Amino acid sequence: MQYHGVSLNKLSDIMWEIPQAGGMRVPGLIFASEAMMGDILKDEAVRQVMNVAYLPGILRYSIGMPDIHWGYGFPIGGVAAMDLDEGVISPGGVGYDINCGVRLLRSGLTVEALRPRLPELLGALHHGVPSGVGSTGFVRLSGPDVETVLSEGSRWASSAGFGTDEDVAFTESGGKYPGADPDAVSTVAKKRGREQLGTLGSGNHFLEVDEVMEIHDDEAAAAYGLFIGQAVVLIHSGSRGLGYQVCDDYLVTMAEYMRRNRIELPDRQLACAHIRSPEGERYLSALAAAANFAFANRQLLAHQARETFLKVLKIGPRDLGMRQVYDVGHNNAKFEEYEVDGRKKKVLVHRKGATRAFPPGHPEIPGEYRKVGQPVFIPGEMGNASYVLAGAPGAMRLSFGSTCHGAGRRMSRTQAKASVRGKSIVQEMERRGVLVACASMKTLAEEIPEAYKDVSAVVDVVHEAGIARKVARLKPVAVVKG
Amino acid sequence: MKPRGYRLLPHTADIRLEVRGQDLAGLFATSVTSLFSLLTDRRRVRAAETRTLEVSGRDLEDRLFLLLREALLLFTVDRFLVRSARGKMNRSGVRVEVRGEAFDASRHHAFREIKAVTAHGMVVERIPGGFAARYVIDV
Repeated sequence: MQYHGVSLNKLSDIMWEIPQAGGMRVPGLIFASEAMMGDILKDEAVRQVMNVAYLPGILRYSIGMPDIHWGYGFPIGGVAAMDLDEGVISPGGVGYDINCGVRLLRSGLTVEALRPRLPELLGALHHGVPSGVGSTGFVRLSGPDVETVLSEGSRWASSAGFGTDEDVAFTESGGKYPGADPDAVSTVAKKRGREQLGTLGSGNHFLEVDEVMEIHDDEAAAAYGLFIGQAVVLIHSGSRGLGYQVCDDYLVTMAEYMRRNRIELPDRQLACAHIRSPEGERYLSALAAAANFAFANRQLLAHQARETFLKVLKIGPRDLGMRQVYDVGHNNAKFEEYEVDGRKKKVLVHRKGATRAFPPGHPEIPGEYRKVGQPVFIPGEMGNASYVLAGAPGAMRLSFGSTCHGAGRRMSRTQAKASVRGKSIVQEMERRGVLVACASMKTLAEEIPEAYKDVSAVVDVVHEAGIARKVARLKPVAVVKG
Repeated sequence: MKPRGYRLLPHTADIRLEVRGQDLAGLFATSVTSLFSLLTDRRRVRAAETRTLEVSGRDLEDRLFLLLREALLLFTVDRFLVRSARGKMNRSGVRVEVRGEAFDASRHHAFREIKAVTAHGMVVERIPGGFAARYVIDV
């Protein structure tokens, strides 16, 4: 397989190596089927995997997941682990939406029982969960509150009455990144984020009710509390304007650092600083603060979803049984331990559009899930399917504890919009059995299912590679789009 | 494409723009207005207030990047929408005067959320009859 004169080595049916060339410090590695490579080779994603390999201190491989597509700087669906002494941290390797992620809530109800109430429920969720540009949250934060959100994450939300200790326990990193420093977050970033806590946002962010359609792994599904026909709630959102501004602020800081230290890279958006430098350390403490904001944000959204269900269905919390399965991010940089060249080593893993996927037995997984592995949620195209996966041992060997994060776009937004011109997308979705409410028709048109790769094909690759295991397939039945 | 204005280039996940201007001042001004065209229907924005954006930078790309960052903050922090812009180049930077008004949900429709203007693949170059710039906006 060829990419602009570069020959890719086929390592297996689902693994492709980009040989080290030019200023690349390590080779590239892409997880994808031969059929998927066709789409992947069409845009700049492979070039971006190669560019990431230029970063100082990168270890083993610059990695691309099967949902990889053209981003800015790093590809979306990119993973890069760095040596702590030689390596760099790149805000572009995390993305603007710091700790954007997915949360799954299960319920004690079936979609069958819920169906007559779905239109009403969707209306109430759309009303109760602020979405779209310029929306503000239902929580008013004072100055000191913002600082607490940034240092405490989900724990702030649960202690303020917007969730339970159980929610916090079933969140990646216990809903709180260590080392967060609110002072490392600019006043502008705080201003941009303050009114947005508890809002969904726009673009591909959503809150949806799904039905569990299929169980692939009985033991893991039982551990996660999932059963066929069950109504579950999937939430996709991030750190809102606060996170975007943190990334933006530090890209400027890092560009300055690179000039001073004469680091040259093929793309301005790869701007970075050494992990051990004051600039690098400060960004990492701002990143942790923004990540905590994202955890708190999803906690508030989950709280709103629960309250809305209770109000519309007029039942008690016990009957609703809406408990958190897990919450996991897919835009982050974290210190983790891996075996590199036969030695256990602490490294910094960038995940930009990639999900942490720790295997069974990993100490960072809640005890209840330790036998089956960490839950991973892969939202798919709006009309089709989403998946629940479990982290698998291959992830520790092959992908620095990471797997894919979604279907991955295959069509540009302009193409998507052009292809739905004149059709009613809401009616079309209804025909496919999905009720949709949205803040902007423009955004909705950009998010049509055809704009994405087939999520099932993406998930099959990571399953086969042994970096995550299929647990359950979900189908959306009611969607609130930002 | 006209000597002034913008168009969307193909990009899988985000929005990639090409902007043109007869001179650099025009290019920078059009870059700012095109950002707001992506945010809202500019014809509905009144030119009630004037604001000034001023940046300096090492090269043209640097200046464009910093200018667009400032322009986006007008909306994300101050809730200000731009109807029109006029640019002026000086020795180390660029100054753009914008006219517009505060966002009012009863009159203005916000199309989408713009997370940031990225530096990815940012180019400012001379073309026959003027200048062109290309860059990616994260949405």
